[in-house]
Amino acid sequence: MRNALAIARKELSIYFTTPWAYLVFTGMLVVSSFFFVASLEGFKQVQQMARAMSWARLPQDWAMYKNLTDGVIVPLWGVVTIVTLFLAPFLSMRLFAEEKRHQTFELLMTVPVRPLEIVLGKYLGGLGVVSATLGLTIVFPAVLAIFGRSESGSALEWSTVLLGYLGLLLWGATCIAIGMFISALTESQALAACLTFVVLLPWMLLNGLTQSAEEPLRSVVNYLSFQTQLQNMTKGVLDLKAIVFFASVIFLSVLLTQRAVEAHRWA
Amino acid sequence: MAMIEAKNLTKRYRDRIAIENLTFSVNEGEILGFLGPNGAGKTTTMRILSGFVPPSEGSAKIAGFDVFEHPLEVKRRLGYLPETPPLYPEMTARGYLRFVGRLKGVPSRQLGSEIERVSNLTGIQEVIDRVIKNLSKGFRQRVGVAQALLNNPPVLILDEPTEGLDPAQRAEVRSLIKKLAGKHTVILSTHILHEVTMTCEKVLIINQGRIVAFDEIKKLAHAYGQTEQVSLEEIFIKLTAA
Repeated sequence: MRNALAIARKELSIYFTTPWAYLVFTGMLVVSSFFFVASLEGFKQVQQMARAMSWARLPQDWAMYKNLTDGVIVPLWGVVTIVTLFLAPFLSMRLFAEEKRHQTFELLMTVPVRPLEIVLGKYLGGLGVVSATLGLTIVFPAVLAIFGRSESGSALEWSTVLLGYLGLLLWGATCIAIGMFISALTESQALAACLTFVVLLPWMLLNGLTQSAEEPLRSVVNYLSFQTQLQNMTKGVLDLKAIVFFASVIFLSVLLTQRAVEAHRWA
Repeated sequence: MAMIEAKNLTKRYRDRIAIENLTFSVNEGEILGFLGPNGAGKTTTMRILSGFVPPSEGSAKIAGFDVFEHPLEVKRRLGYLPETPPLYPEMTARGYLRFVGRLKGVPSRQLGSEIERVSNLTGIQEVIDRVIKNLSKGFRQRVGVAQALLNNPPVLILDEPTEGLDPAQRAEVRSLIKKLAGKHTVILSTHILHEVTMTCEKVLIINQGRIVAFDEIKKLAHAYGQTEQVSLEEIFIKLTAA
């Protein structure tokens, strides 16, 4: 474990000395603040209309605008999952590809460290930086909590917000795990990033294919889709099935990465 | 006791043979000079000995442990400088040595003094807090050597340790390697023959993946020239021509 931590520490120090992490942070903040401001504006308009006409006369599905949690934060978390899908490949791409390109992989493979420790160290480093990226978005609920008003108690329903946030972290962890495995297969960071994206996006949208599919294929494909799994979590529902699903994807990716690294000893 | 033992090492890449049937051993405390023209298979051999690449056939042992079967035992006893020094350009030399030291199992308390020791040996104290990216080639090479010396491993495998150094620095590294004799078992490759005569007693010359000579320098001189004056260069050219 000491070795894994040493590697994780090195990964983080490199992330924060190169511009990549900061670019990703900026990207995350720019896109999500843009969306945050826009949805806040929409929220305000609906509230004004409701005050003028009463909720009963507004369309049914506008009911989510009754409170800040469902009206602003839940849609925001949805956007953050998409932004994460686009940004995580830029974080995970360097994990192994860079070591191979700089030929420092030769060092890692000739010091007394097990392949699993290398992989875990790398993964922890990646987790650290993706958590930092997602951590930035906690500023939005914080702003609402400070400046928001509600007729009944606190402006936000924190249990919903934080459960959604947990879903985000789980999602970030999944993206990094898949990206790390792909990074272990190539020397080229650009290729690793592209491939990761090509895997993540269709996987996310698998449920779109099921519209016309028949049972039981429909349920199976639906179940495998990231979007289906994320749906409940971002809404703040504690979905044990989704947690198990993402944990299995992470476990499998880490295991495959370990095999890919181990395979070097046989090549 | 043989600290490094190679038995019938063969490495094939598809239809190309990189090395074929290399058998040699290095006794404890010896320094072996490893010579050969470019592309003869020196780096491949050293990669196999360090456990980075598996052989197609044959076996290698370091300090009595099979490289392939007990990789961790071997790696604990090994300092390895690959052909390209494995450096992280964004880190400072000290940060880098700290990282490698931790991975090599240097206890946290001794990490500082161990880094001090190897940086003194390799003469990198003046640049230790600079970012590796900004170091000259000579210093980078020496940071690579320093890394190999961390945790004082009994066996050292150095792939062209004097590459990129100026003559004065080369002399320093040479004297450093000479100092290692007796306590460490060293195998070092180089294409500067003069260097081998000054640091090693024994040489291994390979050409096109095969051993063409493996003996003490003095004996080689006897065998290939009438006088003791015959230079290693002449022997080398004679053996590797063809």
